[in-house]
This record gives sequence, structure tokens and C-alpha cells, in this order.
Amino acid sequence: MAPKKKEEPKEAPKPKAPEPEPVKIPEFNPTEVVLEFTPEQIEDFKDAFQLFDRTPLNEMKITYGQCGDVIRALGQNPTNAEIMYVLGKPKAEEMATKMMDFDSFLPIHQHICKAKDRGTYEDFVEGLRVFDKLGDGTVMGAELRHVLASLGEKMKEDEVEQLMTNQEDANGCVNYEAFVKHVMAS
Amino acid sequence: MTSSPTGITYCKCLCVVICSLPTLLIPPAMRAALLIQRWYRQYVARLEMRRRCTWNIFQSIEYAGEQDQIKLYNFFGYLMDHFTPASSERNLISHIFRENNICHNVDWERYFCYKSIEVPELYSGPHLSFPITCSNAAELVEAFKNKQQLHSRYVLQLLGETWRLLRILPNISQISTCHNKEITICGDLHGHLEDLLLVFYKNGLPSSEKPYVFNGDFVDRGKDSLEILLILFSFLLVYPNDVHLNRGNHEDHIVNLRYGFTKEVLGKYRLHGKKILKLLQKIFSWLPLATVIDHKVLVLHGGISDTTDLHLISRVDRHKYVSALRPPKRKRQNRSGMTDSDLEDDDPTAKSVDSSRRRVHSLTHSSSTGTRHEVQRRSLQGLNNRVTCSVEEELKERRRQAGLSQSYGDLRNSLTNSDSDPDPDSGELLESYGDEWKQIVDMLWSDPMPQDGCVPNEVRGGGCYWGPDVTEEVLRRHNLTLLIRSHECKQEGYEFCHNRRVLTIFSASNYYEVGSNRGAYIRMGPDLVPHFIQYQANRATRALTLRQSVGRTERSALRALREKLFAHKSDLISSFQEYDPENTGLISLGHWAGAMEAVLRLGLPWRVLRSQLVGDTLDGMLDYHLWFRELAITEPNTELSNASLLETMYKHHSNLETIFRIIDTDNSGLISFEEFRQTWKLLSSHLQTEISDEAISDLAVSIDFNKDGSIDINEFMEAFRLVGGDLLQNEGDPH
Repeated sequence: MAPKKKEEPKEAPKPKAPEPEPVKIPEFNPTEVVLEFTPEQIEDFKDAFQLFDRTPLNEMKITYGQCGDVIRALGQNPTNAEIMYVLGKPKAEEMATKMMDFDSFLPIHQHICKAKDRGTYEDFVEGLRVFDKLGDGTVMGAELRHVLASLGEKMKEDEVEQLMTNQEDANGCVNYEAFVKHVMAS
Repeated sequence: MTSSPTGITYCKCLCVVICSLPTLLIPPAMRAALLIQRWYRQYVARLEMRRRCTWNIFQSIEYAGEQDQIKLYNFFGYLMDHFTPASSERNLISHIFRENNICHNVDWERYFCYKSIEVPELYSGPHLSFPITCSNAAELVEAFKNKQQLHSRYVLQLLGETWRLLRILPNISQISTCHNKEITICGDLHGHLEDLLLVFYKNGLPSSEKPYVFNGDFVDRGKDSLEILLILFSFLLVYPNDVHLNRGNHEDHIVNLRYGFTKEVLGKYRLHGKKILKLLQKIFSWLPLATVIDHKVLVLHGGISDTTDLHLISRVDRHKYVSALRPPKRKRQNRSGMTDSDLEDDDPTAKSVDSSRRRVHSLTHSSSTGTRHEVQRRSLQGLNNRVTCSVEEELKERRRQAGLSQSYGDLRNSLTNSDSDPDPDSGELLESYGDEWKQIVDMLWSDPMPQDGCVPNEVRGGGCYWGPDVTEEVLRRHNLTLLIRSHECKQEGYEFCHNRRVLTIFSASNYYEVGSNRGAYIRMGPDLVPHFIQYQANRATRALTLRQSVGRTERSALRALREKLFAHKSDLISSFQEYDPENTGLISLGHWAGAMEAVLRLGLPWRVLRSQLVGDTLDGMLDYHLWFRELAITEPNTELSNASLLETMYKHHSNLETIFRIIDTDNSGLISFEEFRQTWKLLSSHLQTEISDEAISDLAVSIDFNKDGSIDINEFMEAFRLVGGDLLQNEGDPH
């Protein structure tokens, strides 16, 4: 497949999937979310929320930019896109300035918790097997780094470095089952 | 848009769309990438949470220790004020309150004279000649790098010269970046020699081309505090115009009793340690308080308050403030009209019961402790309640609440109302001493806070928390642009706050634990823009992954926390039992968290920590007796049957050691049985607990006495140190 040329501004970008039209997704509506957390869980979330609260008067507020971190710290693993979606697609500059209080946070967290397809150990290994050219249980570290930095929700170079430290053997290969265990075991 | 080698193009704006597509429709490589990236981001977020928790634990315990120190010190001060000179308890501790400028400097010089000390032929350490040269100083650095020790003769000589130099330096050093000189500014070193050596390695030794400012807290906690001082002082002597030292809150002999410096010196210099400590006491009091660069950048150790006035500070007699923990005693007229300069020997007749010593009961804010002008003989027990209660009231939760009502106005009032002084003229003197003292304490102990205002720093027990509005006002008042301070450990070695008008610089890497934080120093040129150089003084940690580094620090913090839990066992159990009236032995996790905070008051996120501290629960209920057994804290082998005494010892380990060292007036490291008994009596008064003579005798019997009937303080403290169960975990842990 020939690489696509740089798009003309007026042309609408086309997805590469077989679907001819982009799927229309409704905006996230927090009021439609039914909270199913137990009071115990809510207390737990409060503690974690407070750990990230840097407001002067301990107002139980965090920035929009921190929401993803708190949700992940509590055990979910959404994509950045999913986070932006539940936040109502804020602008880049709002991420550092717009504040979210605990009550607004709960429906967002609930929505993420309910999402299916979290990815199991097998999915993970399957995904990495794509890059296993020799079928020997290893992938080239360099290729993995490249993929992580250029595909999907790209990681920065230092993030890739942090993830990959001590994972490659002398030949620059990564045993991906061990790698998956390493990432999932935090 | 980018294209990958596999020919798939990716457009960011489509991410949401693609993610919402059925899985099979997403190309496999992309799917793999998204999965890994999601998990990675979760991994990082969880580590960050653990890291914050760990940091909170260390910091809470550190500051709680400082609070403890202040409480103990206030208690002693109270004893001094309200008990007769004949009281034996008072006599045990009165010497630490004695003024320092007892004799003339000439007499002190004679006392500190090094000349009679011979350096033996066998000595293989560095030799110093005076006036000291820069090669001497460099030699000293090399020698210490090679773990050599400087002979006490040279130590005393070096310290003597330093003392003489410091006496002529102003309170506030003014320096400039003229001739395009870049100034290097270092923060807390805390006895971490390897960090100082690393800074010198990266940045070069101090010289007239390479001026340095060292911003306090050179000593305590680390094991090479004295070597750091000797290095800094030698460079100060060689380049007095280019090396600048600011005093920190740890340059204080009272603080040193608790945090390890006193012990270090006595351990390294058994014969002359006492003299060295005494001389250092004077040197600390003579250290300058601040440095100003190009009239624009203020560098001091702790911080400021809303009343900070540099003009006032530049005029004080700084050496009067031997310890920032108490203001100096005024010289008073005795009956014969001669000035009562404090006598070296504690003459009880000179100090009458009426001698009202002006001091503040709390460093932070006033408390009502009954009618202050009733200076009478009272029993130890009777007043104890009032002291302990008011101190307890003063303790608030660590997490800063909005709308604190205590203000420095209250503090000022307490100073003028306290210790009613029959002499009306001294009212003004009281006021000015109070102002001065407060200025100095604020400079050495304060911390910045995010919200506006200025409130007492109850977490540490001294100084205040000041807000961005105070920063603006103080900087504006003095026509300054930046405040550089230290005093607080920072993950990255430095941190800005208050709209980048306040900069914290901290130079002791691995402060809480190996891998906990980096150290940093600042380089600043005529443009007054700070540049940072960070480092971490331990090769091993640099190779650790993020998780390993976080994990290691975390294990250390949890160990420290578990020891605290164990030490407070009986209080915790009582608290749990309040939630368990039917004595089932079970409580809910929510109640567990509440009880933990109520007893320990560390302001920690207990629910977040729960997974690290608590094992299995039955339906969300915790069996608390079992839990304590599982904490796996090893008690030392002792036949001591008195469990509560043992627990007191664990809980108040540091207080006990501090009192021992205070009582050990000749700094020998040994105390007699009688002194040992008195220590326990003092501690029990402070804690408001009963400790019988019999219990103390039992305790003494369980220790090995030296043949001459004295107790070695170090041995005693070591014998009762708690040992965490998981110390067996080795450093090679892959997690």
C-alpha cells in the first residue's frame, strides 16, 4: 500500500478501516452514568484522589491533566483517547488549568471501569507475536521501540527508554512473554 | 501524519474512532501498540502513586520527629521556668540553657588551644599548615575521599581560625556576579560527603573564579557531617570573599543532640570531641544568616514570614542565638548592681525563683498555661497536665486546613505578656528580643505553602508557612526578584513555587533512602537566571529501573512505618477496641483507617497504604490482633517483663536518646545509674506516664553494666532498636 500523501486542508481525512464513513460517537454525558461503586470503594477512591490534590486549601480537586493518572493509579488502563472522551474533549491548554472535583470524577471513573475489552495477558502476547518474525518467542527491541514511538498513542523517547530498560538481551532481543509479565505486574 | 515501515498510516484525530471500532477491524500492529501503551501508562501512574505515598511517609515521620524535638525542648524550658534551682531534675538539664558568652573570647581561646596536642609520628592523615592554602584545602578533600581522619590538633586549629573569621563577617553577605562570574549555590548536604565530592567533581573546587554559596544544614543524619564542615571551613579560610556559608536549622547544638552530629563527633574524636563540639557551638552561632546576590537574589536556608525585615536582621547580634530553639537570656542586674553575666558554675543563689526568663512556650503560637506570673515551687506532677495538654492542643493535623485562626499576632502578644517582668524598662528589651528571635527562627525553619497568608508551621514546630502573597510583598519591600532557599527535600533536587519567585534547592541525593531523590545545585551568572545540574551519588541506583528504585524506597518507608505501628501498639489496640465494643477482635477497614490516623497523626493516606500494610481480610473485616502479629517486627532479646516500659522505649527512642545526651554533660557517651534513673523520671514527666523506681531498676538489671557501674548510651540504644522482619529482602530484588 502506497503511503498517503500529506492531506489537503479541505479534504476530510479518511480512516483506513473498511468502514467507508467515520462512526459518529455521541458526546460523553456524565449524568447518564449509573454509579455502581460501594461506599467502601468510594472512600478508597477519595484517598487516592487526595494524594494527587495539590490545591492550596485541600479542596479535593485535581487538574484535568491528572484525571487519567488517577484513573490508572486506581487500576484501570484506558487509552488517552478514552480519557479525552470522558473529559469532554478539552483543549490542550485546559488540561493544566481546568479543575475537576471528586463528585464529577466518579461518573468518569465509573464509565472507564465498565468498559469491556481491557486486554488480557493472552491478548497482549498475541499482539506482540505480530512482531515475532522468527517465531522464536522474541521480538527485536529496536522494532518494538519504534512501534511504541510511532504507532497508536505514541510514547515519547524517554518513556520508551524507561519501559525497555533491562528488557533486551545481549543481541537486542526481547522475550515478549517476560516483557508482558513485567509490564502487567506493577 | 506519519507512516510506519509496515505501510500503515495513522492520523491522530481518528484515534477515538479507531479505538471504538470492533477490535478485529484495527490493524494488528496498531492494536498491539495501543495495548502496550495503555498498560505502560497505567504502570507509570501506579508507580507515581506509590512514589507519592512513600514520600509522604518519609516526610511525615521526619517532620513528626522535629515536632517531637520541639515538644521535648519546650517541656525542658517549662521545667526551667517553674522549678526551683534546687530541684534535681532542673539541674540535670539546666546546663543546656546556659548562655554561651560566659567568659571573654580570650579565655575561650585558651580553652580551645590546640598547641598542646601532639601529632604522633604514626599519623598518616593530612597535615595542615596555617595560614591555610588552597592546596591544603584540596589535600583535605582528597584525604577525606580516601576515608582518612584529620587529627584533632588540626581540627581545633582549623575551627579556631574559622571562628575568628566568622566573627568579622556580617549577618547578610552581599555578593556580586561582576566580572562574569557564575555563582554556584548548594542546598542541604546533611553529612552526605559523597554528594559534596560529586558536586566538586562536576563543578570544580571553590576558588576566586568559582564562588560558592552553601545554604545551610551541612550536618546531621549523614555520617560525614564533620568532614563536610572541615572542607567548607578550609575553603572559607582560603577564599573568604568567594565562599559563603548560610546557617541552617541544623547548625544548632540542641538539634544535633537528636539527629546524629553530636554522636558522630564524639565517636570520631573520643579524647577531644567535647571541645570540638563546644567550639562548633560557637561557630554555628556565628554563621551568617543569609546571602544576597547582586542586590536581587536572596539566599537563605528556611524561608521568610510576613514580618521578615532584612534591615533588622542585618543589625542583630547573631551570635547571641546559640540555638534557634530558644531566645537568648537577657543580662540582668543582680543586687550589687553588677551585670550578672552567667557564671560557669551553676550558682543557685544567683538565680532566684523570681528571675523571670523571657521565653516562649511554643515556638509556633501562644498557649495558655495558667497564670504565668505565679512562679512558685510546684510539684512535677501537678503542672505536668497543663503543659502536656496545651502542647497536645497545639498539634493540629498535618494536612493544612483552611482558615487557620492562629496568627503571628498571637505569638507577639505572648512574648510581651509572658513571664511577667517586674522591671518596666525591660519591656522594650523583651519586645526587641522577641522580634529578632522570631526573624531568625522564621529564616531557618519556614516552608512555603500554596495558599496566601502566613501561619505557624505546626508540622515542624518552628517558623511559619508562608504564601505567594507574602513572597511578593517581602521581595517587593526589599527590591528583590528571587528567593532561593533549601530545607525541604525535593525529588528532582530542586523545585520552583510561588510563580517561580521561590526556588528550593536540595543537594543531598538519596536523602530518605538510596534512590529516593536526586540532588542538585544551581549555577547563576550575571543574568541571574538559575541553571540546574542534577545528580545521584550512587552508581547502583542509576542503573535501577523506575520500578526498582520506587520499590526500594517504598520498602524502606514501609519498614519505618511498621516500626512506628509496632511502637504504638497499645494505643492502636485501644483505639481499635473503641470500634469493637463487643470484643470480636474484628474491625472494618474504614475504622482501621480512622484509628490509624487518630493515633499516629501522620496525615497519611491509610486506605491507599492498606494493601501494603494489611494482608487478608474476612469480608472487609480485619482481625487486628492477628495483624499485629503479622507485622513481624522483631523485639530484641530481653528479659524485661515490663511491656509498657519497653513500648515507651520504642515509641520515644529519639527523645530518650536526646535526654541521655543532654544529661551526659561531659560528653563521654556514658551515664551513671543515677543519671539513667533521672532520665526516665524526666521522660515520664514529659509523657505524663508513671514509671516506678522498681521498673527502672528492672530495666537497668537487664542491661550489661560496665564494670564501673556506668551505661554506654550507644550500646543501650542499639540494644533496644526495633528490627523489621523483611530486612532479609536483598537489594537484587527484581521488583
